[in-house]
Amino acid sequence: MMENLNVFAVRTLTQKEYFAPGHRSCQGCAEALAVRLVCKALGRNIIIAAATGCMEIVSSPLPFTSWRVPWFHCAFENTAAVASGIEVGLKVLMRKGRIPQKKIVTVGMAGDGGTADIGLQALSGALERGHDFIYVCTDNEAYMNTGIQRSSSTPFGASTTTSPAGKTKMGQITWKKNMAAIAAAHNIPYVATACPSYPMDLIQKVKKAADIKGAAYLHILSVCPTGWRSAPDLSIKLGRLAVETGTFPLYEVEHGRYHLNIDFPKLKPIKEYMKLQGRFRHLTEEMIEEIQARINHDYEQLRERDKRGF
Amino acid sequence: MISFKIDGQSVEGKEGAHILEVALDAGIEIPHLCYNESVKPYGACRLCLVEVTKKGRSRMTTSCNYPVMEEIEVFTQSEKVLRARRMIIELLVSMCPGDKLLQEMAAKMGVQEFRFKKEDKDCILCGLCARVCDEVVGAHAIQFASRGDRREMVPPFGGEAMDCIACGACVVVCPVDVVRMKEEGDERTIIRWKHTLKMKSCKVCGNYFAPWFQLEKFREKAKLPKDFYDVCYTCRS
Repeated sequence: MMENLNVFAVRTLTQKEYFAPGHRSCQGCAEALAVRLVCKALGRNIIIAAATGCMEIVSSPLPFTSWRVPWFHCAFENTAAVASGIEVGLKVLMRKGRIPQKKIVTVGMAGDGGTADIGLQALSGALERGHDFIYVCTDNEAYMNTGIQRSSSTPFGASTTTSPAGKTKMGQITWKKNMAAIAAAHNIPYVATACPSYPMDLIQKVKKAADIKGAAYLHILSVCPTGWRSAPDLSIKLGRLAVETGTFPLYEVEHGRYHLNIDFPKLKPIKEYMKLQGRFRHLTEEMIEEIQARINHDYEQLRERDKRGF
Repeated sequence: MISFKIDGQSVEGKEGAHILEVALDAGIEIPHLCYNESVKPYGACRLCLVEVTKKGRSRMTTSCNYPVMEEIEVFTQSEKVLRARRMIIELLVSMCPGDKLLQEMAAKMGVQEFRFKKEDKDCILCGLCARVCDEVVGAHAIQFASRGDRREMVPPFGGEAMDCIACGACVVVCPVDVVRMKEEGDERTIIRWKHTLKMKSCKVCGNYFAPWFQLEKFREKAKLPKDFYDVCYTCRS
């Protein structure tokens, strides 16, 4: 319900910034926006364990930092393990009375490489053990910080430096890994997808994830103008288009029950989303049609799940 | 900056700030329901009661609208405060027995039994929706009606809130989540204010993106051209 709320609802949010401005992300970075909104929604009593990635690089160049909340930098492969350790540590310290009893939210934060590729086993373990934490994956669909190498989250047909478009191959030859479905398959209480182009929706989902007891997984699409070869002023529009074309549907899975948050009577053609991005510009009509067919199929499946409830 | 003490911890607040915001900034938890940063403090829910000691005299006061001063000492966990807080939450739960958040808060404060006669209200009368509507939105669509125990938050004359632009700000701020919104086809309804607005559809993609009435108001106020809101935010280039 919160997806179309305009300017006034956003003004009732806190004005405090926990992810400080002045960090070194590129122009038009929607990932920085996503992290800022996540921090805003969670407030002050949180501990973040963040993997290496864009957000670590831009927010903590020694001796500066953008974090006004406790923040822990860990390796690519163990974000979820570190977050679960923090959560259990806090629990034990509270039980022993070393620190006062209060609600401290533990957050694991990583990019798509740190989640879908390298950190997957740690994440799977943490979700299966059922730690009370939130895992936030900010998905910009490639290893952007090291120079746009493909990840398993890169969509089909996208040209990256390790899946370049040329005579023999047309960019990425595999489909995007459905991380939200993998997380939902662990039967955790809450899984959701969000996008910073819909800020109220994102904030409500983060708050819900913090309130729920048990593990929660949030998959946030963050537009990356550098890697997607798009104009920096189009980041918000691209995020909206990704949702409106059905490429990245916004839904949540609560205790196994699917709920599509925003549904359109008619999806926009995928071409509108692709023509704004340089990484798709080599695609031929047939390939676009193939992608369109796949997206329609996936979206239809999601709609059915929404109707059925599971 | 004004420095003072909360629970023995030295904190600093800007001049004109109130105790609650300084405490929350310093990570000291004080339960509260009717406080929101975007509007003026109101002191309706009384849950943020604290004990303030000034020049040797102590008094109980709501921390959300008590300005910070030099040489005051604030206690948020004293026996007196906890007792008062337990009483308030007991009264709140008795007024709105169906509310989950209130029950959770009560359980946290150690209140198990509720001795008062239960009413079947759902609104805690914090007035946050009306204050946001006045101060943030500027629509003045809703206000308190009646006084005393008959006080309630209703649309004007118990009918339909004609000035409501269905922006959803009240839906977001409501601390107990009783103001709800419904979107069906081309209509958006704020259920509690009994107001249904037709949605405008985009000329390019055909998706509904905002209520007609709201866009007309914006257009009038900002003196925008007539076709300004013909296309939705995404289709606008």
